[in-house]
Amino acid sequence: MDLTLASQYVLAGLVIGVIYSLMALGITFIYSIMKMINWAMGEFFMIGSYVQYVLIVTVFGGARWWLALPVAMGSVFLLGLVIQRLLLRPMYVGVIERRDEYATIVTIALMILFRNLAIVLGGPNQYAPPDYARPVTLGTLPLSGNRFVALIGTAVLLGLFLLVIKTTWIGRALRGAAQNRVGIQTAGVDVLRLDMIAFGVGVALAAGAGALLAPDFLVYPENGSISTFKGFEIIVIGGLGSIAGSLVGGLLLGVIEALGSVFISAAYKDLYGFLLLIVLLVFRPTGLFGERERTA
Amino acid sequence: MKVRRNVALLVVLLIAVGLMAGGLWAPSLAQKPVKIGVLTPLSPPGDAAAGQLIVRGAKAAADDVNARGGILGRKIELVVEDDSGTPEKGSAGMRKLATQDQVVAVVGQFHSSVTAAVQVLAEQFQVPVFLTQASAKSLTEKHLNYTFRTHVIDPDRVTMWNRWIKERGYKRVAIMAENTDYGIGLVEDTKKTLGSAVPGSELKAIVFDRAVVDFTPQLLEIKSWKPDVLLNIGIGAPVYLISKQAWDVGLSPAVPMLISYDAPARAEYWKNLGEKGNFASFIVYYHPSMKLPARGDAFRKKYIEQFKEEPIYGAFNAYAQVWLVADAINAAKSEKPEDLVKALLAGKFEGWNGTISFTRGEGPYWQQWTPPMLIVQYTKPEMSFTDAKIIFPPEFKTGDWMPAKP
Repeated sequence: MDLTLASQYVLAGLVIGVIYSLMALGITFIYSIMKMINWAMGEFFMIGSYVQYVLIVTVFGGARWWLALPVAMGSVFLLGLVIQRLLLRPMYVGVIERRDEYATIVTIALMILFRNLAIVLGGPNQYAPPDYARPVTLGTLPLSGNRFVALIGTAVLLGLFLLVIKTTWIGRALRGAAQNRVGIQTAGVDVLRLDMIAFGVGVALAAGAGALLAPDFLVYPENGSISTFKGFEIIVIGGLGSIAGSLVGGLLLGVIEALGSVFISAAYKDLYGFLLLIVLLVFRPTGLFGERERTA
Repeated sequence: MKVRRNVALLVVLLIAVGLMAGGLWAPSLAQKPVKIGVLTPLSPPGDAAAGQLIVRGAKAAADDVNARGGILGRKIELVVEDDSGTPEKGSAGMRKLATQDQVVAVVGQFHSSVTAAVQVLAEQFQVPVFLTQASAKSLTEKHLNYTFRTHVIDPDRVTMWNRWIKERGYKRVAIMAENTDYGIGLVEDTKKTLGSAVPGSELKAIVFDRAVVDFTPQLLEIKSWKPDVLLNIGIGAPVYLISKQAWDVGLSPAVPMLISYDAPARAEYWKNLGEKGNFASFIVYYHPSMKLPARGDAFRKKYIEQFKEEPIYGAFNAYAQVWLVADAINAAKSEKPEDLVKALLAGKFEGWNGTISFTRGEGPYWQQWTPPMLIVQYTKPEMSFTDAKIIFPPEFKTGDWMPAKP
């Protein structure tokens, strides 16, 4: 076995695993607060990449891509607030009887709407913002500067997210809502407002991933689909609703794909994560950090 | 007396209705347009940029045919449908065009996997389908009555790059191919023929799913194998992603890359890749330096005037195919499918770069007409397609292949 190649695979897997975990974190965060799956996460990733591209090309220029990133995330956060308020809030105010089905239908409809809107507004073609940085070497791995920037950017965003969740009042309220929605309402917290914030933050994380990966994965209407698949794989591996699970799941997925590439073939890279997922579903259906749901 | 008056009134009314039917309705029937379908990828995961160019060509041809009197005195109306590069959408589009729109023919097929589904329906509904840029050999190998192709077939493409590989002296050939009829067909043909065409050569082929966006592990594997050349067989976004990421892992431009079709001829190529697109070689079927016959030249001038850029092959071919349908119907003096097929097989038609004729040859050369194939290379960033030199085959060469500067 070529050790250099093996180490390159593992490093490449870890890098992309960390970046995908940002997507997974968004999915799991929304689920843990709102108890719903957002099937349109890939489209928020896509919107983030489009906004980033437009801002770089028209306002900030290639050198100041880092200024575009918070604006792209902020605008998707606002979009998330509006969508939550208009389309998802009715689930929690007694109007909708079958919440899970409603959430599934609404988010799949959003997925189709956003994809087609992207085609209408931007055309079906691919776009690419200028590179964020020159190529670097990470240990043995020759790496695109964009991917390295995405890695650092993801680490910073994950750090900020954890800081807010662990140390601020709103973070404590969100953790409380994740544990017990009724309990936190009895403490006087407006849980509907928390839902809005959670949805906004979740989709903004996806948009951040899209914006960071835009130069590497290009900007086009379907660029979020693979990231969504990976995100869902990660949360099933790590455990639905677990923040730690989405981080560990991302790293694990990256390493498994890398090892599969080393010992079997890189051609089937995307298959190995699904094999891990099947094994986990058989032996630990709740994922690595997930807990069995308690029902009365 | 009253009865007689009523009968007379009825007769007058019937005559009036008859006159109206003859005088008013008949011309309106004669004016009914001849519908031609354009079924092509206009959204992802299909190569939507290619579809847009194909639609441009088809529309220009419809305008020109209509300006010259139309088909059998009737106007052409194009019905454009998006197949999204997926067989299921292609089938739905073909079904609609054949049954609801009742088109006389369908042009614009680009993805071989889509065409494989569409041509079955074309046979069922007896609507001739023209392959504009779908090149899998299996499509004409089935010997279907209503499938016609005016594009290269994959074995010819493989023969072309085998010759080029031999001329360049490459021995270790790596392929990155998408898991479609196109990609897999090219890999299989190359596996079969490379050894005999280039004695002593070795081949490493990696097939990927076309939804994949991260090719880093595959490209690292190829890099560690130390190839002499990399064949990039992606269509749409993957062709750019492979080019970009091959550069990022240090494979390109040190290892020369040959892109399997003419995507780099489009303006979006440099926008997507910047300097990472430099030194790529790619297969084309048209180059602005080619001398074109009257029909092709007229289209080229019109296209440049309208879009302020050089037309791309897909537009040329769609233009020629709409003309082909019009000429064949005019020759047959009928739009019945069987008459149209007979006329297509019997006649010689003016194409964009020569005379098109169809024969029912052996294997994939069934109702097949093949345009020229060339390999060109970009040697500096932002180089225009017009300035790119033809590096192969030797009889058309306008420049030599250039290695990347270290």
